[in-house]
Order: sequence, then C-alpha cells, then structure tokens
Amino acid sequence: MRVVADREVCVGAGSCELLAPDAFKVDDDGAVRVLQEQPDDAAAVRDAVSQCPTGAITLLERD
Amino acid sequence: MTIAAVPPADAGGVDLATVDLSDRDWWTTPPEYRHAAFDRLRSERPFAFFAEPDIPGFPPGPGYHAVTRYADLEAISCRPAVFCSGKGAVSMQDVPADLNEFYGSLISMDDPRHAKIRRIVSKTFTPRMLERTLDSVRAVVDDVLARARAKAEAGDGSIDVVADIAAPIPLRVICDMMGVPEADRASVLANSNVILSGGDPELIENDDPLTAFLTAGMEMAALMERLAAERLAEPRDDLTTALVSTEVDGERLSHQEIASFFILLLVAGNETTRNAISQGLLALSQHPDQWARWAADPALDRTGVEEVVRWVSPVTWMRRTATQDGEINGHAFTAGEKFLLFYAAANRDPEVFADPQRFDVGRDPNPHVGFGSKGPHFCLGAHLARRELQVTFRAVFDQLPDLEVTGPPHRLASSFVNGLKRLPARLGGDR
Repeated sequence: MRVVADREVCVGAGSCELLAPDAFKVDDDGAVRVLQEQPDDAAAVRDAVSQCPTGAITLLERD
Repeated sequence: MTIAAVPPADAGGVDLATVDLSDRDWWTTPPEYRHAAFDRLRSERPFAFFAEPDIPGFPPGPGYHAVTRYADLEAISCRPAVFCSGKGAVSMQDVPADLNEFYGSLISMDDPRHAKIRRIVSKTFTPRMLERTLDSVRAVVDDVLARARAKAEAGDGSIDVVADIAAPIPLRVICDMMGVPEADRASVLANSNVILSGGDPELIENDDPLTAFLTAGMEMAALMERLAAERLAEPRDDLTTALVSTEVDGERLSHQEIASFFILLLVAGNETTRNAISQGLLALSQHPDQWARWAADPALDRTGVEEVVRWVSPVTWMRRTATQDGEINGHAFTAGEKFLLFYAAANRDPEVFADPQRFDVGRDPNPHVGFGSKGPHFCLGAHLARRELQVTFRAVFDQLPDLEVTGPPHRLASSFVNGLKRLPARLGGDR
C-alpha cells in the first residue's frame, strides 16, 4: 500500500496531522507532506483519508 | 440550579406556517422551539424555500432553500464546483462584489484562489504548531478566570459569563496570534460585534445597520494598514507578518485582500469560540449531571468539547449557490439557486446522531458539522477552537466550580451566529 497526496487540492486543514501524525505533516507552504508513503499505522491513515475535508489524500491499497 | 432544562418542544406543536428563517427575531426564540421547527423541516420539507429578508439599499433576491438534512448538507458541501461560495457565503442576499470580497474574504471565495490564500496561514493553525501555543492559551485562560473571580469577590458575586469569561479568552488568543496591541483590542471586540451582529438593534447605533457595518469594517482595515506598515518595516513571528509578506502566484496580496483576511481572522477567531464557551457553560448548567460527569473525568475533555460544538453550532449556516442545473439526493435545482446549509439542523439529524436532543459529553463517535462539513471551507480555526475550549472548560471545572447561572441568556437576534450577548451568573454561592 502507498499514501499519495494532491497538494493542489489540499487546504492544510490539518485533520490528517491530528489523526495520523506519523504519516502526515502540514508543511511550511501550508499543504500536506506525506511523511510515510508506506504507513506504519494503516488504520490511522485510513481514518485520516476518510476525514480529509478536501479528499486530498489517498491510500492506494495495491501499488 | 436556577435555570431548569426546558424539555424539547413537541415537534408536532410547531406550526411551520409561522416559521420564517429570514426573520432575525425568530432566532431569539428558545433553542428547544427552533430545534423542534428544524425537526419538522428536516422530515417534511428538507429543501424548504424561504424569501430573503428586506435589507434597505439592496434589491430583494430570489430566495433560498434551507438545507436541514445531514446527508444533503454534506452532498452540497463536498461539491464546491457545483455549489460555489464565490457568490456570497455569509449573506442571504447577493451583495455587491466588492462588499462580498471585503467581508467574506476566503469564506466567499472559490478554489484555486481560495486554497492558495488559505495555505498562507494554514500552517499556523495545525495541531503541531498549536501544540506550541498551549502554554500561552493556558496562561490567558487562568488570567481571565482569576479576573472573573476578583470581580465577583469585589462585588456581590455576580458576573456576566459572556463579558467576563467567554469574550476575553478568544479575543486575547487571536490578538496574540495576529500581533494586535493591547490598546487596540477593545475596538477589535466592538467592531467584531457589529460585523457579526446580524443587525441586532442593540449593537447598532442610530438604527442604521449598513453604516455601522461599513464603519466597523473601515476601522478594522485602518488598524490593519497600521500594523501592516509596521510589520513590513519590522517583521515578527505573527500572522499579520505572514499576510503582508507571503506571495501568491508571484504576487503579494492586495491591501484589500490583506484587510479582508485580517478582519476574517479576527472576527471568526473571536465570535465563534466565545459562543461555544458561553452556551457550553449554559448547557452544562442546565444539565448538572453532565457538568459533574465531565468535571470529574479529564478523559472526557475531547468528547465534551465536540459535544459542545455540536450542541451550540456557533455558526448556524453558510450559503452556497448552484453554478449549474442538476439534482441532489432526488432534489432538482437550476443554476443560480441558493442553498443555506443549516449546520445547527444537521447536527440534530436522527439519521446520524442517536438521541440527538440529548446533551451527552461522552458522545462518541460525534461526526458533527459544527466546524463545517466536507469541502475546502472546513473551519480554518477548528484545531485552535478545540484547544481553547478544552483548556477553558477544564479550567472552569477546576477554578470556578461554584459558577452558577442565575438568569436567562440574552440571545443575539441573528440567524447567522448563534450568539449570547449576556449570561448572568454568580460565584461564591452554594452550588
């Protein structure tokens, strides 16, 4: 599995950072940075993906 | 308890023919009555049509649909290309484009410009960055509560929950973040109140809302001009410096864009958290079992705050405007139709929330839309608000356990902000 982010759609709401802080960070330019493309905590990342207000992050289950 | 919990009105007892969501006085009726009306709208007329209020100086518009079901609200909110914000998100009427931009800023803007401008400040409002401000929020809250205590002890014990607790906490926190000097904070509070007054006559001088509204905006813009000049000469680690120095698409923001963003951050940072604090304390005083349960268990700080935001829904609605013809959950619409997303109604939707009219500080999960639903306009300050609220309620439990609400709340006559102007209380009695 692999985490990908669309930094154009991201508004930096920070939900991902709250729910999966090891996998995501809102970067200095205000958009998300993926810290772990292969996440340690897949459950937290799935939660973050479902809560992202703009659908900016995706978890590709097979890659 | 002096104020008894009012049992929910029988939804069948609400005559929908008398319900006018455009009438600001309707919004001063007891919340139990309003929620009973929302219950009927949600189940019988989920896209109910209302005429727009008459505002002197503006041509009457075509009216709007009141969206009260959670699923409809989410479906609209997460399709920003079909339901835009750029025609105006904070007023029922279409207002001239310059006013719309000036008072709406990001809220009344669409992507891609919205996202680019929002990202200038989004970094400051992330959980990681706010972790660093936790100590300063705690210091503000402790100081405010100590002053409330001192005021009560110096007098007959009476305080106003709004003026003495709920207003100063978010005012000081957001002004610290923006770098607004102490001497200017009273005027920031007064002008914020006018801008989000909804035209409540008590907050408007000479019964002239438009002039009061424009004057408040100009005073805030003048403050921004002064601070912007200071920050350009001498940058600091604050939000105002970020606004004046960051480039978007290779250009700095215009003075008007900076002024309107500055006003948005101050007004939104002030008014919403204030009303969550005041009405959260009101709800807790009406539900003493929930007060005792939360006070005894800091593990409930997270769910307690989420329930306060659901229960209060500090921002009652935001508007969207259809950019094309289409259909949403079986409802056909045409381009140009307006939709008001009633977060307060969606937050009591029994399809989503078990026993929605029950105030339950342990409610979990709690997928409320008090900070907005899915979509690019999800509240920028949500993490900050949660932090302020968690610190404030915990500090009240610890430092003001004798807080007792003694009189009825004075409600703001506004459809847009679910606000209290005053909430009489006392300290030092036998709670």
